Amino acid sequence: MSDLGFSFSLSQLWQVAGGQIILIIAGLVLIFVDLWLSTDKKPDHVVTMGWLTALSFLVALWYMVCPGWTLNEIVVIGVFSTEKFAIFVSAVILMAGIFASLMSIGYLRNNQLVRSEYFILLLFAVYGAIAMVQSVDLLMMFIALEVMSLSVYVLAAFLKNDRRSQEGALKYFLLGSFGSAFFLFGVALIYGMTGTVNITKIAQVLSTGSFLEHPGVLVAMAMLMSGLFFKMAIVPFHMWTPDVYEGSPAIITGFMATAVKAAAFGIFIKLLSVTFTPILAYSGQPEFQSTVNLAAMAVYWKPLLWWLALITMFVGNLVAVSQQNVKRMLAYSSIAHAGYMVLGILAANDEGRMGVLFYLFAYTLMNMGAFGVLYLLDGQEGKAQTLEDYHGLGFKYPTLSFLMSLFLVSMAGLPPTAGFIGKFYLFAAAIKEGYLLLAALGIMTCVIGAYYYLRVIWMLYMVEPSREVVAGRVGVTSMIALIAAALGIMYLGILPEGLAQVANVAQQSLAMVF
Amino acid sequence: MNAPILTYVTFLPLLGVLAILFIPQQSESGKNAIRWVSMVISTFVFIVSLRLYFDFDPDVAGFQFIEKYTWIPSYGITYFMGLDGLAFWLVLLTTFLTPITILSTWTAITKRVKEFQIAMLVLETAMLGTFVSLDLFLFYVFWEIMLIPMWLIIGVWGGERRIYAAIKFFLFTAVGSFLMLVCIIGLVYFHNQETGELTFNLLSLYNTNLARMYEILFFGAFALAFAIKVPMFPFHTWLPDAHVEAPTAGSVILAGILLKMGTYGFFRFAMPLFPDGSAFFTPLIVVLSIIGIIYGAMVAMVQPDIKKLVAYSSVSHLGYCMIGLYVLNRHGVEGSILQMINHGISTGALFLLVGVVYERRHTRLIAEYGGICRPMPIYASIFFLITLSSVGFPTTNGFIGEFLILLGVFEVNKAYAVLAATGVVLGAIYMLWMFQRVFYGRVSNPKNEKLKDLNRRELAYLLPLVALVFWIGLYPNFFLSKMHSSVDHFISQVKISAPASPVAVVEHHASVDKTPLYVSAAKE
Repeated sequence: MSDLGFSFSLSQLWQVAGGQIILIIAGLVLIFVDLWLSTDKKPDHVVTMGWLTALSFLVALWYMVCPGWTLNEIVVIGVFSTEKFAIFVSAVILMAGIFASLMSIGYLRNNQLVRSEYFILLLFAVYGAIAMVQSVDLLMMFIALEVMSLSVYVLAAFLKNDRRSQEGALKYFLLGSFGSAFFLFGVALIYGMTGTVNITKIAQVLSTGSFLEHPGVLVAMAMLMSGLFFKMAIVPFHMWTPDVYEGSPAIITGFMATAVKAAAFGIFIKLLSVTFTPILAYSGQPEFQSTVNLAAMAVYWKPLLWWLALITMFVGNLVAVSQQNVKRMLAYSSIAHAGYMVLGILAANDEGRMGVLFYLFAYTLMNMGAFGVLYLLDGQEGKAQTLEDYHGLGFKYPTLSFLMSLFLVSMAGLPPTAGFIGKFYLFAAAIKEGYLLLAALGIMTCVIGAYYYLRVIWMLYMVEPSREVVAGRVGVTSMIALIAAALGIMYLGILPEGLAQVANVAQQSLAMVF
Repeated sequence: MNAPILTYVTFLPLLGVLAILFIPQQSESGKNAIRWVSMVISTFVFIVSLRLYFDFDPDVAGFQFIEKYTWIPSYGITYFMGLDGLAFWLVLLTTFLTPITILSTWTAITKRVKEFQIAMLVLETAMLGTFVSLDLFLFYVFWEIMLIPMWLIIGVWGGERRIYAAIKFFLFTAVGSFLMLVCIIGLVYFHNQETGELTFNLLSLYNTNLARMYEILFFGAFALAFAIKVPMFPFHTWLPDAHVEAPTAGSVILAGILLKMGTYGFFRFAMPLFPDGSAFFTPLIVVLSIIGIIYGAMVAMVQPDIKKLVAYSSVSHLGYCMIGLYVLNRHGVEGSILQMINHGISTGALFLLVGVVYERRHTRLIAEYGGICRPMPIYASIFFLITLSSVGFPTTNGFIGEFLILLGVFEVNKAYAVLAATGVVLGAIYMLWMFQRVFYGRVSNPKNEKLKDLNRRELAYLLPLVALVFWIGLYPNFFLSKMHSSVDHFISQVKISAPASPVAVVEHHASVDKTPLYVSAAKE
């Protein structure tokens, strides 16, 4: 398993990167299918492309989970590995992709956008995200990050005639590049220090002690983390989020808030637990037990995450209260949700990592669901985005409003929904490590969160309609996706143990990456 | 006892929800069908819950009808239900009041009937679940679920300022209960450190030995959540708003059952889990209760709106319940429990009665009425009986409850008893004065001359309440006999598990108010 040496068989390659290969092939095939279909500019071909994209995601998901989950040992070839952690996060990303492609069919139709390169971009964005979480090599991570980001930049600018979309995309591109540059700079530093870009080998070098508390390593760590904070939208790296989320097509906003975030959180956890807390990785492997305190790095990032979690929760929730535009409000709320997840990472115990994985899964369901209803309630033109437009829609569109309420109640963290259980796991993990004060402050921000989520519901049900809003046509595909998300949320809210077990197995695999 | 009767009782209302979902509500007959389904289901739940009465063993101090299944094993969370002498009565009160409330909505709620009845039935499930859960996680889940339907009932079917009232209700409750969640988890992990066992089982957590600081901290958080719900002075400000804006049915459930969750929470969770913390806060809580009794009564006196008057009278009555719990002797605690039931019946009935005239006249201002004895004699008689119950007239239920509580307080501290007793006098003043202004004299407002008296449906839901008023008033032992063992157990739990500290705490605070609370308790 030498660096980038091709000392592996084709079957091993297929075993490790099968899901990615399926996605690349699907992407290339779809480009040609699109060319062939678009000869007779029919709106139907968006439907075909959407279904084909969803199908490719489904095949990749099936392939990654079914053979992948049964492997008992981790196969590493070159820059990719098959640990269950990566499989879990990939599954979340693919799930977000399936939801996005199903809902996009309706979305593109509603907005008269008959342009199917949308789906190909979505496919490559998902591919990039998956390659990112599967890689064990910082350079590969960076390349995959860029593949994902570039696709998403274009998707964010997809509403050609909407200036907000253009503005948001440009901001996203500039600040995103900034973030990527941070990440790359961190990679360069760490390479200069340790002579390798493989995350496990970096850990080995660090554990010898010579660089452990070297300022260069600390700067590199800070750089890598900052780069990821951009993607995770952690305060104070969140400035781009509201504009981009508001301007992008609704479904893409949902996708960015779930899949992109899941990928960033995935490698963030991987870096922290494999590279910068080597004690976890070496447990049970005496040859790596050196004399230095291997957990030393945690001393540096824990206080940092403590504060970041706190201000992220506060800023996200507080600023969301003052938003009149529902999409923008959800953008700020997604910042707050990132804050809750940082709580789980900060705990840095089994429960915390499990909680983050569970929350990513649950958050994908509720957030994709919420944006899926959002674009429908925004009306035929997609213009009715403010709270006022929601007045009295509850009894006019009972199904959509009920679904919206369910997703929002779940985001507010009220039982019996997945959002409540997820928050419970995260806060329990933090409390277990003794962060009682942070948990208490954090839970108070949840009250603020509950306020603005419920505000949407009361606009729907408790206020008389102030202007005529006609909801978009609800297509079959959107309905399938929305009902699946709603059922998932209720199921996980009542019987969370199954997924929690799976997430626990996934997070334990991090300790075996070596 | 073999059938999981608590599960049946708790989740049966959801069956009604399922049925209602499939009935269209466009036509009047559809609306009636929905009302009937809701009515029949909730009555059926009441009949099933009566089964509990026959199987309940009054000699058992612990919990009965135990059901326990693993739910989330990795966190030691179980589906754990059971009843003791307090929860037993509160469950019956809930199943009894719900059909009565639903019957009262026949003509009061004519818009969005389907959604309303669904909210009522979901609310019933959540309330029952809260009372029977013996697992802290399960309890918390039900406790939170309850918020949403109540919020909707106030916010969708309420009055002018309904949204403000609804969100105030929600936020007040959420602040307390979210903090409580953090402390529940904290408690569980402390228990885990001590015993190595990760569990949310209430009975195991009773035995946790916390450091004193954490006892005080955690009790504070639990007490905040419950005190808001009770509501204790000064956390009561959401209550008048919620009551005034809520539809009649919402007020009845809110006053009749939801407020009891606060006192129930003190009895079941806050006090036995953290006896040291409880002892530390005892002087404060007792003083706040007395302030609540007097303040609630005085504010009630000056209300121009009948509903607001009844709302403030709740603050006063619940003050009795709290002080009764805190004297920690059998009289006080049993009086307190009985007073919870009494308050559910009489205040529930008062809200229903206010709803009756509100439906006819669309106003609740006392000044708008006067002399309505004449057009509505039956209504006036029932109103009078309930008023007597509310002021604690002998032979009614209110007398027994208040008498027992005052007796209990008197055994402990005479000054407190005297202060609390002024509440009885003030209660008589504001209730009778209101009664006089509304019912006696000439019919001052011509609009009131043609008011119709109670119809059969209204009688059907009011008479059972009147019957109960006298049943409890004349033969309280029927109710008290089921509580003795549980109450004794509760007192021993709160006292024995903190053998040294109450005295120490009381001495510590004696310097402040010179009135140790546990004097007579020590003599026993």
